[in-house]
Amino acid sequence: MSVTALIALAILVMLAGGFYAGRSRAIQAVAGNTVRLHSLPNYHGYYVAIWTGLPALLLLVAHGLFADKVVENLTYAELRRDAAALNAQLDEALSTDTVYEALRADAVQLRGRADSIASDLERLRSATGEDRDPERMEALDSQRLDALNAVTSADEAVLDRRMELVDGVAAAAREAGAPVRALAGFELTQAPRERRQLFLADTLNIAHGELPSRESRELVAAASIATRHQNQLRYLIGAMALVVAVAGLWRTRSQVEPAFRARNHVESLVTALLLFSSVIAILTTVGIVFSLLFESLRFFSTVPVSEFLFGLQWSPQIALRADQVGQSGAFGAVPLFAGTALITLIAMVVAVPIGLLAAVYLSEYAGPRFRATAKPLLEILAGIPTVVYGFFALLTVGPFIRGLFSWLGFEDVVTQSALSAGLVMGIMIIPFISSLSDDVINSVPQTLRDGSYAMGATRSETISHVVLPAALPGIVGAVLLGVSRAVGETMIVVMAAGQGANLTANPLESVTTITVQIVMLLTGDQEFDSPKTLSAFALGLVLFVVTLIMNVVALRVVQRYREKYD
Amino acid sequence: MVNPMPDNQSHPDMSAGAGQAELPIKVQARDVCVSYSGKQALNHVSIDVPDRSVTAFIGPSGCGKSTFLRCLNRMNDTIEGAKVVGSLKIDGLEVNDKSVDPVVLRANVGMVFQKPNPFPKSIYDNVAYGPRIHGLALSKDELDAIVEDSLKKAGLWDEVADRLNHPGTGLSGGQQQRLVIARAIAVNPEVILMDEPCSALDPIATAKIEELIDELRENYCIIIVTHSMQQAARVSQQTAFFHMGNLVEYGTTEEIFTNPRDPRTQDYITGRFG
Repeated sequence: MSVTALIALAILVMLAGGFYAGRSRAIQAVAGNTVRLHSLPNYHGYYVAIWTGLPALLLLVAHGLFADKVVENLTYAELRRDAAALNAQLDEALSTDTVYEALRADAVQLRGRADSIASDLERLRSATGEDRDPERMEALDSQRLDALNAVTSADEAVLDRRMELVDGVAAAAREAGAPVRALAGFELTQAPRERRQLFLADTLNIAHGELPSRESRELVAAASIATRHQNQLRYLIGAMALVVAVAGLWRTRSQVEPAFRARNHVESLVTALLLFSSVIAILTTVGIVFSLLFESLRFFSTVPVSEFLFGLQWSPQIALRADQVGQSGAFGAVPLFAGTALITLIAMVVAVPIGLLAAVYLSEYAGPRFRATAKPLLEILAGIPTVVYGFFALLTVGPFIRGLFSWLGFEDVVTQSALSAGLVMGIMIIPFISSLSDDVINSVPQTLRDGSYAMGATRSETISHVVLPAALPGIVGAVLLGVSRAVGETMIVVMAAGQGANLTANPLESVTTITVQIVMLLTGDQEFDSPKTLSAFALGLVLFVVTLIMNVVALRVVQRYREKYD
Repeated sequence: MVNPMPDNQSHPDMSAGAGQAELPIKVQARDVCVSYSGKQALNHVSIDVPDRSVTAFIGPSGCGKSTFLRCLNRMNDTIEGAKVVGSLKIDGLEVNDKSVDPVVLRANVGMVFQKPNPFPKSIYDNVAYGPRIHGLALSKDELDAIVEDSLKKAGLWDEVADRLNHPGTGLSGGQQQRLVIARAIAVNPEVILMDEPCSALDPIATAKIEELIDELRENYCIIIVTHSMQQAARVSQQTAFFHMGNLVEYGTTEEIFTNPRDPRTQDYITGRFG
């Protein structure tokens, strides 16, 4: 068992002890006559226990969260100190090496040339009228590409030469019997950024007893340093935690007296806990929104917002080479919006009438026994995983629709169509609409129905003239929630509607939706700086905004309805 | 006490006495019993209610007076497990007979409830509701005339004439209750049942409704259930006292309030219970 675990256990024991200490001291203070206490003895116990355990445990949690980072930094600093002599040697070698100097000068010169070509090109591009020379612009552009390539290879040459020298210094030091720690520090400090991170990660892996990506004497030496820091930190934090726990116990126990308002203190701690929980939920939401927003902004720096929102072509290819044709792809999202709208429309055309009529039957006509059976059965529909609906759409509804429409004389009907996806999605949404509408219809006051019956209205007249109008805002809310569900649905569409980004209003063609494209964009190989991947975030943002607006409207509508009758 | 013999129409417990003899009998009940899911709510009630007058039903909560009222337009049909037996005639026609369509019956027997329940529609549509579903108006002008006439009879016309298309739910409580009364008389009923129509209203709105009831008496048979004995004394000509599902005493209002025969009636109107 590790030291930290032992200390945590000790703190838990102290926490329990604190509870009894606070409790018994409170009882003792009034000689058993607990009526004289401001707070019940248990509250005194809770108070002492919380201040004994909470800060100390928080300290241990913080240790668990941040220890690796601290150890990493400490290890890096120490290795750097050890490698100071070798680093100085390298600096000297670099400054005396003529090849290195020449390569660097080359690189600087090439960069200057590339910059001047680029500024020429810029000037030419901003020119108007006679001065505008497309041929020269093209020529300059290719020159600029060549110059940039030259700069890149010059930089590589500089770096290669530098690494040669580094290797030389390291080899010489190893020959001269320099300590392994110094060599480890040298390797670490001279490595490029990402290699440095890998080195440190491997060091910590070895220190934790886990498998590193490679083994070397230098890594083992670095790991022993890391282990030392780790242990020091562990004991330091452990001791601090114990001190904090003891201090808390001693301090709060001495506060216990008959007039001490322990329950108020415990109450404020409970409040803090509740606040903390809700803040976590809110912060998570804010975090998700901001990540969507920032990635979308990155996307919109390569593809203009207007093109994304109003473009009619969607084909997000990856550019394999910088000069590839159609390199930027086409990011006009209108076909996706149209596909989403089409499928949602079909789904609502199915779900709203069936759901609403089912709700009317259940709430107004059905006997209690039928209702008790039918309502849960209907709600089972909502519990079916959407992927099951998906293959129902793909294997049953799709072929059926194709067969039906070919029989009716339509040509080229495909199995994966907007119609089959929409139909099945509509079936999925029925329980949403019916269940919510049922609740809303039930909350229409009986006095309104009585009023209508007393006028000599029949049941259906009462429903269509009085109950449904009264329930309308709530029903609208239910429908809007259903719509936002349909807009966000993915699985059914992936399986049943195909993936072609067709801009069409024909429900028999295959279409694709926002959510499906997000899935397509983010599965498989991807790089997080290409517009292809980033466009998923922009789509996500659009989806988020649309569903947010619909949910807000739905909730507002439902709220207004509630105010009216409560 | 209630006489279980249904044939004796001149029994003093059923008719309200000599003073009202010139008015024809509108509602005639004989041995009406009501039970809700087996629980007896009304025991052998027999009563004769005269036309063109106001009859008040008083009694403590749960005494069966509202239950009896709801028998008259078969509103008990809408309650699960309600069972009505006995003979109940309006204009000599058996209400509980299978051949009677409750929809037609209710057009003839209007009802006003305890809490104003205007539909979530405009004032105009509220009043036009009944005429529309029963097809009473052949043209828009006719319907307009019915609406105006009903609102005038309910004493609401002057207050709402300029905002007939505003929602009925936006009126004050007293106005809503008068709107509901206008809605009830728009289908031209003969009997109007009122189930504690003023219990949710302030004294001024109550005074207006009572005034209205007094005016409506000239053309309708009005039966009103009330918890307020002052109200019964003010608006009614006959009063029936219900207790524990029984009709204890029935007579002219003056008689009941000045010279009750039954000690329970005496105790109730002097405020000893209830």
